[in-house]
Amino acid sequence: MAKDRSQSDDYTAPLRRLLLGVLCLCLLAIFLVWRIDSPRVERFRAQVTDRVVPSMGWAMVPVTGVINLFRDFQSYQRLADQNRELRSELRQMQAWKEAALQLEQENARLLDLNNVRLDPRLTFVTGVVLADSGSPFRQSVLLNVGARDGIRDGWAAMDGIGLVGRISGTGRNTARVILLTDAASVVPALIQPSGQTALVAGDNTIRPLIDFLENRDLVRAGDRVVSSGDGGVFPAGLLIGQVAADPAGRLRVRLSADYERLEFLRVLRHLGVEPVSDPGTIVAPNGANNGTGGQPAALDEVGDG
Amino acid sequence: MAELSTSRLWVMRAGFLALALAIMFFHLLPLDTLPSRWAPPDLLIGFTIAWVLRRPDYVPVLSIAAVTLMADLMFQRPPGLMALLMVLGSEYLKNRTSGLREASFIGEWVAVTFVLVVITVLNQLILGLLLVQPAPPLGLSLIQMVLTIATYPLVVLVTQSLMGVRKLAPGDASALNARTGSRA
Repeated sequence: MAKDRSQSDDYTAPLRRLLLGVLCLCLLAIFLVWRIDSPRVERFRAQVTDRVVPSMGWAMVPVTGVINLFRDFQSYQRLADQNRELRSELRQMQAWKEAALQLEQENARLLDLNNVRLDPRLTFVTGVVLADSGSPFRQSVLLNVGARDGIRDGWAAMDGIGLVGRISGTGRNTARVILLTDAASVVPALIQPSGQTALVAGDNTIRPLIDFLENRDLVRAGDRVVSSGDGGVFPAGLLIGQVAADPAGRLRVRLSADYERLEFLRVLRHLGVEPVSDPGTIVAPNGANNGTGGQPAALDEVGDG
Repeated sequence: MAELSTSRLWVMRAGFLALALAIMFFHLLPLDTLPSRWAPPDLLIGFTIAWVLRRPDYVPVLSIAAVTLMADLMFQRPPGLMALLMVLGSEYLKNRTSGLREASFIGEWVAVTFVLVVITVLNQLILGLLLVQPAPPLGLSLIQMVLTIATYPLVVLVTQSLMGVRKLAPGDASALNARTGSRA
């Protein structure tokens, strides 16, 4: 028997070594192709994820539910404290609700006065979070809406309150949202009320860094950070969070979105900002295009407007 | 007998794939979407190495490559790199198995530690040299490596007692033969 084995070893060892070499070369080739032509391999990755993760959904949903149930059960032990906290919060909320109602009425009146038309294209698709990135090094979640629902790369994802991330990688049935906390996430932002522009760059912590700020003396902790829409990828004016300073003195964003429980996300349809390409043509009466007659009319109109 | 052991071999090979899928499944559950300060041990690597050192025939190179490549794709890692390192590391350990068979568990642990350190360092080094953005944070990788090493004895315990994957004792092969001979 021992002799047998050694003989078969003699026979198969070179074959095995060849297989091993080919396998290693294949893996190396995959890695190098990814490094050279990342988008194509990332599309492949999205397709693989699209196949695999929804097929695990039947098990993922109940298991997640059960684990969350146990976690909630642990928190029942602190029920009395929570109850008291909730009551005091409710009292505060009622005061805020009054203020909000008044503001809403005022807002409606002002909108009516100005005859403002809100952007009708900022509609959204809501998706359920299927899975997270599965690795402590990347911060992303997988949604159950994809190219089938018209989702495209670069669209913004929000929870009910604030920005959560942007779509990066869409399969047919799934789309990956890179969270603002991911190290690869950079979003152009505007800090109100000072109007400073900056970049909100994730660095794998819960508070993303505020980078490329023009004048940080004008920015205080507590200022609102909203997306600025620079670059045309993101819609402008989405709430990101509030400015906070960390112990090292750097400015960070306290995110408004509730990152502890991301369950449903809204993906905003955003078809890009239409660029103003022509400098504006002369408005002439009766479609006449003689320059002498048209110019004063156009100037008049500008003056009136 | 040959049939029986072959079927058991394939059952255990499928068992390894199922174990890997289960680990990936639990990684992907959307339980915690906050970035954490620490990284859990990489159980996929731990179990793969424990199985390879116990029964190399249950874990052929192809299934190691397939499982780790799948993990690379699912966990948003650079595809192929970790798979390549795991294949090389497990081959190195497999070749040492004959030497390790008599050695104590401490010796095995030291060898595994060595391999894990080399894998982590090479991974960081290659990603750094090729300027891959964003590189995984060094601190987190180190924490993960240390935890994987620290939990390795536990992983081995589970592998041996719950999954029944043990090293073949010197007499096992002949005993198996004798038993099957009597049955036949």
